[in-house]
Amino acid sequence: MSRTFLPAPYGPPRTVWDRINPVRLIGELSETRYWMYLLLLPSALLITAVVLYPTLYGMQMSFREMRLNRPDLGTGFVGLRHYERMLSDPVFWVSLRNTAVWVTFSIVIEFVVGLIAALALNRNLPGTKVLAVLILLPYFLPNVVAGHMWALMLDPRLGVINDLLVRIGLLEGYKAWFADPGTAMAAAIVVEAWHSFPFFTLLLLAGLKGIPTDLYKAADIDGAGPFAQLRLITLPMLRTIIAAAVILRVIGLVNSPDLLLILTSGGPGRSTQVLSLYAFQTAYRDFNFGYAGALSVVMFVFLMVFAWAYIRITKVNQE
Amino acid sequence: MSTLTLRGVRKSFGLLEVLHNVDLELEDGGFLVLLGPSGCGKSTLLSIIAGLEPASGGDVLIGERVVNDVHPKDRNIAMVFQSYALYPTMTVERNMGFGLEMRGVPTAERDGKVLDAARLLQVEHLLARKPGQLSGGQRQRVAMGRAIVRDPELFLFDEPLSNLDAKLRVEMRTEIKRLHDRLGTTVVYVTHDQVEAMTLGTRVAVMREGVIQQLADPQTIYDRPANMFVAGFIGSPAMNFISGVLEAGPGGPAFVYEAGRLRLSLPEPAMPRGVAMGRPVILGTRPEHLTLGSGSAARLSGTIDVVEPTGPDTMVVAMIGGQPVTARLPPRVALRPGEPVELAVDTSALNFFDPESGERL
Repeated sequence: MSRTFLPAPYGPPRTVWDRINPVRLIGELSETRYWMYLLLLPSALLITAVVLYPTLYGMQMSFREMRLNRPDLGTGFVGLRHYERMLSDPVFWVSLRNTAVWVTFSIVIEFVVGLIAALALNRNLPGTKVLAVLILLPYFLPNVVAGHMWALMLDPRLGVINDLLVRIGLLEGYKAWFADPGTAMAAAIVVEAWHSFPFFTLLLLAGLKGIPTDLYKAADIDGAGPFAQLRLITLPMLRTIIAAAVILRVIGLVNSPDLLLILTSGGPGRSTQVLSLYAFQTAYRDFNFGYAGALSVVMFVFLMVFAWAYIRITKVNQE
Repeated sequence: MSTLTLRGVRKSFGLLEVLHNVDLELEDGGFLVLLGPSGCGKSTLLSIIAGLEPASGGDVLIGERVVNDVHPKDRNIAMVFQSYALYPTMTVERNMGFGLEMRGVPTAERDGKVLDAARLLQVEHLLARKPGQLSGGQRQRVAMGRAIVRDPELFLFDEPLSNLDAKLRVEMRTEIKRLHDRLGTTVVYVTHDQVEAMTLGTRVAVMREGVIQQLADPQTIYDRPANMFVAGFIGSPAMNFISGVLEAGPGGPAFVYEAGRLRLSLPEPAMPRGVAMGRPVILGTRPEHLTLGSGSAARLSGTIDVVEPTGPDTMVVAMIGGQPVTARLPPRVALRPGEPVELAVDTSALNFFDPESGERL
């Protein structure tokens, strides 16, 4: 028999201790194809505990009765009753429409302003580094802080914006922006766009830095003007980043009720009621967790469908 | 008629002056190579000709027209970049026709020109592809096709072959030469590769630190370099330099080296004109002008240091006067390191330089 000079865990077992030595056993296991599953196990367990379980629990909740202020009803299985109720719930339909308005206008404004800021910062003129920090500042503010700050600035009696608008003659008297159903949503969208456009600036700027400058030189010689260069070089080159940024931002906008909760609580009337806020209030104001769960599942499905359709339409996965 | 004229072109970035008073003229149909080590200002000069960067002073003329303030698109030029700079989101066809598209040329005419150029460069079968699906050599062809389609007054090439592997580089070099012969367009070509410069150029401008050291046809640059920088930069292996003194001896004039102990007899025609005897000089001789032989009067004596067979030739490095001197000898010479050697010098091809200024005497 040939002698082996390999250290302990390797080579054929020679003693009883070799057969039970844990270091040796792990060493042998690491040579098998099960090893990679073992290595994945800790993170799989963690994801199951903090992501998969809560998601599935929320989903099964939507098929149950769970009203904390009506313990007499129990927590029994009710099938699709919550979903049926949703179809005839006018607040749901208003919230759905408001969500579409809220997300669409916010995204468009944030993208356009973010792109302009990114293009400006990409020019590397003197002072752009300081400007970059200033432009990114709003994004560093927590939603709660930004919301309260704007609530104060837009306050009907104390607000600095009312004061400015009256002084320059755009407004005749102070206006309660969030108390008028005609302006509440628009005002909230302005606050949201102000707060989150730097997200687009940041990602688009990173994308712009990756576009070779030779392309613009070639385009200069080919005779493409600034607008043609933006349309035919810059935007196509940013397509993947734009798609990723839009999906991330849409998910954020659909799921976060915090800014609207602070600014309007969905009012006046239902004029700024969005789905996330409706689900939040159904759960934590009305204590109807079953129905809130069903609303969340609907949002989840909408987002899945949106992301799928958006990727299909923009064809970003085909490059 | 000259197609390109530069008059006193200067460029500085802040206090750093990268181009000093560049003057040159390029005749119609000429092929000018801007050659130099990296950082010598050759690419900056090309950018100034293209209008991609403003000059700090001087005039650029294309044809009869001063184009200092003319936008690149209106200079009637086309440029091929080292990175190719193909638009990655467009097909090869659209890439090639983009310049015409931006100039509002009708689709039918555009398609015809693109097809002609694609045929010329043998990339017809690639027209529907995106640049990302092409190999390096194919991208290079498409980039040239994009320039040809425009039919410009002046072609600008910025190190177009640097990103290709060695074999492809040689092929494309020949291709560029063939295209130039066929199309007859005026070309300005930037490179740091002396072989490209020698093979392609009708005129070569050797640059160093923002100054044109010599502007001449390639053979003149090779045979009669204006200074030691040009002499050392062109040619591989480089020209040999030996320092010594010119003396009038009993047997005629001679170049005396190694502290006066060794001498190289020179016939009268080989002597530099107007140089006083007793003057220190640097003698420059190319490796191929040295042969084995003790019979000749003009010879260098030394010791063999290294023998490097390359196949067609064998490079022999000998220590002569304490300085390494390379000779390009026939293959299979029976020489060993450490042996003494006598190298006969072709005195008709000698160069002499001033040791202080490095200028040719």
